[in-house]
Amino acid sequence: MKSVRELEGYLMLDHRHGAPVPDEVVVHAGLPVGAGRGLFESATYTCKHCQRVIVLGMNREKPATFCRGCQHMICDPCAAEKHRTGVCRTFDQVIEEALAATISPKEF
Amino acid sequence: MGVRYSFSVTSVTPTATADTTNLVDSTYLGYLQGGSSTMRLNIAEVYMGGEAASTSSPSIMVLARDSTVMTGTAGGGRNAALDGSSTAPGTLATVGNTAATTKPQRSSTLHLLHLSYNAYGGIVRWVARPGEEPSVVGNSASLGEVSLSAFTGGTTGQMSSHILYEVV
Repeated sequence: MKSVRELEGYLMLDHRHGAPVPDEVVVHAGLPVGAGRGLFESATYTCKHCQRVIVLGMNREKPATFCRGCQHMICDPCAAEKHRTGVCRTFDQVIEEALAATISPKEF
Repeated sequence: MGVRYSFSVTSVTPTATADTTNLVDSTYLGYLQGGSSTMRLNIAEVYMGGEAASTSSPSIMVLARDSTVMTGTAGGGRNAALDGSSTAPGTLATVGNTAATTKPQRSSTLHLLHLSYNAYGGIVRWVARPGEEPSVVGNSASLGEVSLSAFTGGTTGQMSSHILYEVV
């Protein structure tokens, strides 16, 4: 049985041997408070619709939206767009469209 | 599976640069552009290690797509196949941190990964799950190039980096 955890990447911030990062900076970057101190490790996921990488946080507190269309995690802006339009448009489709516009049929 | 490469840059002190502004040569960690209009690259890992000698240097580093892609001769950094026995593809990706003609500009909307860290002794590493890698497609804006650079704010310090990617 597949799990959404199989889709996760990994982020490591290691400040054990140097100066920390102020909380206002890490929060502005979308990271949780305290991520800039000591060793911070977290799961990440790549939005299937736009490929933005989202950091879940130490306690996985970052809410993630699961798209039933593509069976992947998507970021908040893409979830809002999906809610508004009802359309699941993955980044693979964007790529296919970009390549189709680039390659003429003769080249296939 | 395609050929995997490491694009590395050593001992650069990035300059904090706003979105949609020219990234000045050697003041950012690099760009990664498709070597042809149909080349696809998958980004598997981004690593940065701080080398600031003595003062706190919180650096707001961003991996983002570029709304203006570089043109002209590329320079800076090193591009090496990870597997020594790999046969290089006929066309290689375009990488570097200098651009002879048009300088790259970071998109104001297509930020992929924020990696704020302190270059005074800090390390940051992000690894994608295989199959979940952000990709670069072609060699034109905005899908055809990503850059790793410092966003405005913070106090950047000297650092080195590598980006592991695969030519699909």
